[in-house]
Amino acid sequence: MDENALIIEAQRGDLDAFNTLVLHYQDAIFNTARRILGDEELAADATQEAFLSAFRGLNSFRGGSFKAWLMRTVTNAAYDELRRRKRRPTTALEPDGEDPEGMDEPRWLADPNLSPEEATEARELEHAMEHCLEGLSFEYRTVVVMADIEGLDYTEVAAAVRVPLGTVKSRLARARLRLRDCLQGFEELLPAMFRLQREPSS
Amino acid sequence: MNFRDVEHLSAYLDGQLTASETAQLETRLAADAGLRGLLDDLRVARGLLRRVPRRRAPRNFTLNPLNSRVSAPQPRAVPVLRYVGAIASLLFVLSATMNSLAPLAARSLAAAPPPGYGMGGGVGGGPPEAEANVPQMAIAPSGTQVAEAPAAPLDLTAPSAEALAKAAPPAESPDAGFRQGPKAPIPAIWMLILAIAGILFGGLSWYLDRHTRRNFRSNLLEK
Repeated sequence: MDENALIIEAQRGDLDAFNTLVLHYQDAIFNTARRILGDEELAADATQEAFLSAFRGLNSFRGGSFKAWLMRTVTNAAYDELRRRKRRPTTALEPDGEDPEGMDEPRWLADPNLSPEEATEARELEHAMEHCLEGLSFEYRTVVVMADIEGLDYTEVAAAVRVPLGTVKSRLARARLRLRDCLQGFEELLPAMFRLQREPSS
Repeated sequence: MNFRDVEHLSAYLDGQLTASETAQLETRLAADAGLRGLLDDLRVARGLLRRVPRRRAPRNFTLNPLNSRVSAPQPRAVPVLRYVGAIASLLFVLSATMNSLAPLAARSLAAAPPPGYGMGGGVGGGPPEAEANVPQMAIAPSGTQVAEAPAAPLDLTAPSAEALAKAAPPAESPDAGFRQGPKAPIPAIWMLILAIAGILFGGLSWYLDRHTRRNFRSNLLEK
């Protein structure tokens, strides 16, 4: 995929070229929205909004990392969703944390070849992480999701959230520190993973 | 250990420290078990974050040309024109407000009693004789100057009294300025330029945006 050529075509109004880019980035954008918002439906809405506004504002893209630029649009969309949710709070039909069949169905997982144990472990980790991420402010959550979950480098994160590099470093450190404190409460739930991670450094 | 250390450890994990910073931190890590423990904890948190399962998007988010919300990429000039138009309109409104408030300000100034000579603390509003004497009194303490040039106080007071007389509004026509009509602070030509700029740039941005959208729609229909 020649990304630059697709971007130029899309800037000229070629929707097919833009849709090729959408297909390439939609998982990353959706995952980011989901981690920031902590809700599947809201994340889907934010992702759609992000792509709509990305196409409309495509001429404001002046080079650099297109992924980081898309991340910025999804961050804005997620922020709008959060504000909307604050104005009009909704009540979930199902109790929190009890979703054995819904969004945890294997079809949603990126890797369907997990063993049952691995799948359980992944689900537990996901629930723990969701809980801990929810405890972070929007600014910290956004930075840690982009850097540690989506694997953007510091420069890309700085471009995506429009803050200096030093602020990214600082927010990331603070977010990791808070996540560490929060995850310690789940250590009994996730002992294997903690051992697995600690071994190489000891 | 302070937050700066945490920041350094976090950046160290990502390989974001300079060579000298890395060397410095590694020396400290070798000697400080607490720092090593914190590094391990941060590594665990970072490692767990990286293990969070990724999900596939629940559906395709490709844009449908039939969706009315899908609109053409906005030309680069549109936001610039819109911004300039908005600034010009804002300046026009501010100028118009200032110009319309000017007569009110002039009226209130004309209605107010004439100000005292001193800047507070003095016997403001005193008789003209007292005012005429004030400059003389003000230079009186510099005795050497008076001694060197004895005629100076008289020379200085005379023009000051004249200037005061010129500056003060004639007593018989306190509202003369108001009758002539106060001068607008913003000249009419500037108001006109701002109004034209606001309309022109706003209109241009609107036209360009609309034209691009129409072209985009017609191209989609042709396909």
